[in-house]
Amino acid sequence: MSEPASETIRLTIDGVEVAVPKGTTVLKAAETAGIVVPHYCYHPGIPTRPAQCRMCLVEIEGQPKLQPSCVMTAGDGMNVVTQSEAAREARRSVIEFLLLNHPVDCPICDAAGQCMLQDYAYETGQLESRFQEAKLVLGRDRIADDILYFADRCILCTRCVRFMRDVAGDEALIVAQRGHKAYIDTFPGKDLDNEFRGNIVDVCPVGALVHEDFLFKARAWDMDSAPGVCPGCSNGCNIEIGAKENQVVRIKPRYNAEVNSYWMCDYGRKHLVMANRGARIDLPLIRRNGELEAVHWGEALTWLSERMPEGDGVAVVSPFESTESIAAFRALLARIGISGGGYRLARGDEAQLAGFPKLKLRAERAPNATAAELFGFREVESLPSIAAGATVIVAGDRLDDLPADFAGDAGFFAYLGSHLSEAARNADVILPITTFLEMEGTFINHEGRLQRFRQALVPPGVARPAWMVIRRLLSLLGDGADVLEAEAAFERAATETPGLAGIAWSAIGPKGVLVRTDGAAAPSAR
Amino acid sequence: MKKVHPAVVGAQPFQLAEHRPVERLFEDAEGRDRLEKSLSRYPEKKGALLPMLAYAQERNGWLSPEAMEEIAEALDLTPAYVRSVATFYTMYAKRPVGRYWIQVCTCISCHVNRGEEVFESFLEHTGTRAGEVSEDGRYTVIEAECLGACGFATVVQVNDRYFENVTPETVPEVLAQLEPGEPEA
Amino acid sequence: MGFPHDHDLEIGTILSRHFGDPKARELDTWLTYGGYEGLKQAVEMDPGEITTIVKDSGLRGRGGAGFPTGLKWSFMPQEKSGPHYLCCNADESEPGAFKDREILRWVPHLLIEGCLIAARAIRAEHAYIYVRGEYFPFTSILNDAVVEAYEAGYIGRDILGSGWDCDLTVHIGAGAYIAGEETGLMSSLTGGRAEPKIKPPFPAQSGVFGKPTTVNNVETLAAVPMILINGADWYRQWGTEKSPGTKLWCCSGHLVRPGNYELELGVPLKDVIYDVCGGAPDGKKIKAVIPGGSSTAMLTADELDVPSTYEGLQEAGSSLGTASPIVLNEDTNIVRAMRRIADFYAHESCGQCVQCREGTSWVAKILKRIEDGDGRLSDLDTLYDLCEQLTGRTICVLADSVVFPLRSSLDKFRDEYEALIGGRA
Repeated sequence: MSEPASETIRLTIDGVEVAVPKGTTVLKAAETAGIVVPHYCYHPGIPTRPAQCRMCLVEIEGQPKLQPSCVMTAGDGMNVVTQSEAAREARRSVIEFLLLNHPVDCPICDAAGQCMLQDYAYETGQLESRFQEAKLVLGRDRIADDILYFADRCILCTRCVRFMRDVAGDEALIVAQRGHKAYIDTFPGKDLDNEFRGNIVDVCPVGALVHEDFLFKARAWDMDSAPGVCPGCSNGCNIEIGAKENQVVRIKPRYNAEVNSYWMCDYGRKHLVMANRGARIDLPLIRRNGELEAVHWGEALTWLSERMPEGDGVAVVSPFESTESIAAFRALLARIGISGGGYRLARGDEAQLAGFPKLKLRAERAPNATAAELFGFREVESLPSIAAGATVIVAGDRLDDLPADFAGDAGFFAYLGSHLSEAARNADVILPITTFLEMEGTFINHEGRLQRFRQALVPPGVARPAWMVIRRLLSLLGDGADVLEAEAAFERAATETPGLAGIAWSAIGPKGVLVRTDGAAAPSAR
Repeated sequence: MKKVHPAVVGAQPFQLAEHRPVERLFEDAEGRDRLEKSLSRYPEKKGALLPMLAYAQERNGWLSPEAMEEIAEALDLTPAYVRSVATFYTMYAKRPVGRYWIQVCTCISCHVNRGEEVFESFLEHTGTRAGEVSEDGRYTVIEAECLGACGFATVVQVNDRYFENVTPETVPEVLAQLEPGEPEA
Repeated sequence: MGFPHDHDLEIGTILSRHFGDPKARELDTWLTYGGYEGLKQAVEMDPGEITTIVKDSGLRGRGGAGFPTGLKWSFMPQEKSGPHYLCCNADESEPGAFKDREILRWVPHLLIEGCLIAARAIRAEHAYIYVRGEYFPFTSILNDAVVEAYEAGYIGRDILGSGWDCDLTVHIGAGAYIAGEETGLMSSLTGGRAEPKIKPPFPAQSGVFGKPTTVNNVETLAAVPMILINGADWYRQWGTEKSPGTKLWCCSGHLVRPGNYELELGVPLKDVIYDVCGGAPDGKKIKAVIPGGSSTAMLTADELDVPSTYEGLQEAGSSLGTASPIVLNEDTNIVRAMRRIADFYAHESCGQCVQCREGTSWVAKILKRIEDGDGRLSDLDTLYDLCEQLTGRTICVLADSVVFPLRSSLDKFRDEYEALIGGRA
């Protein structure tokens, strides 16, 4: 969407001259000068602006009263002072008011360390309260099967209420009562069941709304955080993965104006928290005398390169694999003479975020079917029955729904995966590969947007990214050099399909980049 | 069925001693009539919300969660939204109250005219504690903020009636006037 | 006459002439009193002409703010691009005020006529009268009059054969002071929580149901028919240049003759208190008067010799407000009375703005602690500071409303606070 060129106005904010398009709010104009006006009720992703927290009041020359900068339109020649004595005093008093009845239970609050009340209180330097009365105690309540509401911590900014009403289009969360007795609630017996409800936890500027999956799990400063792309479906929502002790403990959406704005769905969150489950393959295994035996990488790959059959066979890739791994897998198949190849794709119900239609929990519940298509894999409903003596090579598909005798009488069965299902145990060689959480790479979403994700966890054992394993195997087969970095893996992949031709790794910015998918049928189109 | 002009359908007394409770508000002719007439007075369905909340209380004596849900459905609103509005206003009884809902003003002008004593006197004469329903289901006594009759302090509202210049001593007279000549239930 | 008492000050005869006369509620009788003559003129007039007359009369809003009525009307779009609405604010809730209820109760047709003339002036096709929920007995009287007026053709289609259509609907609230605030009223009328909204947009741009809207107080609208009939100069024979006309006074508290009195604006406040209302009963002295309803600054007994005009009371450091003096006699515990006022505003805060939601109840709690003998001198500093923090920072002026009486009580009756505190630091 391109806006028509609009008139530019100039104003001064804290002595800095700023030029912004006409119609910009003072708060936004300040941002362009690098000045953050503290605020609670304003959230850039929520369209309604009640101007009720009164935190973003600023002084504007010529106006007798302080003005809320979140709704005040910047005017030409305006002189705004966000740091005037009056504005600072107003902010100080808002913080004091908010803390009057607040339990100050930061030591046990999930938001501590990432709390806008804590931050601003620290900034205004208020250590003592003048409040000598008994604090109001409202307690806590469950408002969804996975979300708790700590009413005493709530500052009633109503971001959560307005997210549900104005973004999710589901007016199921409300302010009940009024004045100092007001609190956030649902209708009795009707907990939130909206697919996007988890976002209310993310928009909460304090620790009032807490996701039960994260409750008491980690302090903000104890987590490692990595930017990721949600693998739950083909939408490719940008996320931030919080990990502690090598476990995923918290998922938050990460802003991308082209994909998910500030939001993500709950299916995606749940999917990722489940990533901690299940025993992993952490060593290469080869079959000797009918038994699987753990060996080191060098031995496994040499063993495999010596036995890899030539000629056609059955190939299966998972649409959860990275673009780089899928490309490498295609290169391997080409080397040994397997032409087709399929991928299986789970489907589920769709859910669209009313206030941001590009964000949709899509039917295709995998992140990278587009890349699979781009590299010539085609969706299959189910795997073909494996003829006796056939070659089978599987990359990533867990095969956990298949019978225990799957590919039992195959001629050769190679399995690259992260989890060892009964069916996978029939393989002649099993190579431990990382999940997307443990590697760097890219996914291509439903509309062909190539997006990077970073490594969030340390891989188990000696598991390695599939592209690294396969490129090494190819080099053992005399086909190209080793690839040791994601960037090189991508750039190799980019030379192997016209869709990625000319895209440089460094050019994949925070919004991702659209690739040419005309060679591939979009999976959702079928 | 009480005939009500559409112009005033949303302005009927809704705190009454006598109720005609219904399980479903809009399934009889009266309920449908009230709903349709109210809807006809506002360009948006939501405008009829306060009139319908009032009607539910007029019929049932209080505003039950079931009534809120039914009103939400009739006006294309969510039950949660209806609750948000209902809980903002103090006159909607979100729990059943006594047949006589006695609201004693203790705001400034009544305060200086013994309002608190009048309130205590009501509690004493009805044998209740603030806000609770008396054992016979007859009385609920609460303190109210300004009832807008400050020149006639202390002011007491009982359901849809005003009693003015009430003193602690005249409380029994007020109570006696509530059920003039009615046989005991 | 005053209601319910006679008095012998020179009075106006616009609003209260028929107070106490139940026959005036009936249309037949009302017509013999000259009812609906103003409407008959209005339907033949251009909206702009009506507005000009009201502007010239100097009529100011009687809901407390005193904004010039004709000017307010002139903010409405001159060209219509959709419906316009008139809202009559009968959500009278300011402690001390009980004037609108007397208009509803005795002269409902006068109000209806005023609503219709105003609707004509602002090009509205629908007028809503928003009456506070508690006023059941008075709403019922209004309801009967509205139905009568509809049936007689004063409201509805083709009013008085003029071809002009205008509906009128009575709408009742359900217990919320803040519904009397202009934008809070609009939120409530449209089926919402009565939460005030930030301006802009102003009601004349986007009001009820997103359409241009004017909100006027009952007493303001009730004054309109006589102004239209008799002209602006006639109205200006009463009052002062800046505060023309008459005003319904609501006198309460410790008075021999509390009640409603229609008086010319400019009458000295002390005359209202002592001559009209007879001063405090039982020979007691007066300690303080809160002149304009509970949200105005207290005056001591020595400060009452001020003209009762908008400008006069402002000069005296207070406000005419709704002209609702609450009189406190010498025995009154000022701290306790102030705590009662603070309780009211804490109870009625809608809870949107942080200062108001938290600050009003904090003030009430501190006052209660002082009242209970557990206060400290530092509490007075805190209260003064809270006066600063609650002023001018919020969407509406509810928080400011507690500051006026609070600050004045601290300034003028500090000794009473200190006596209760007893020197504890």
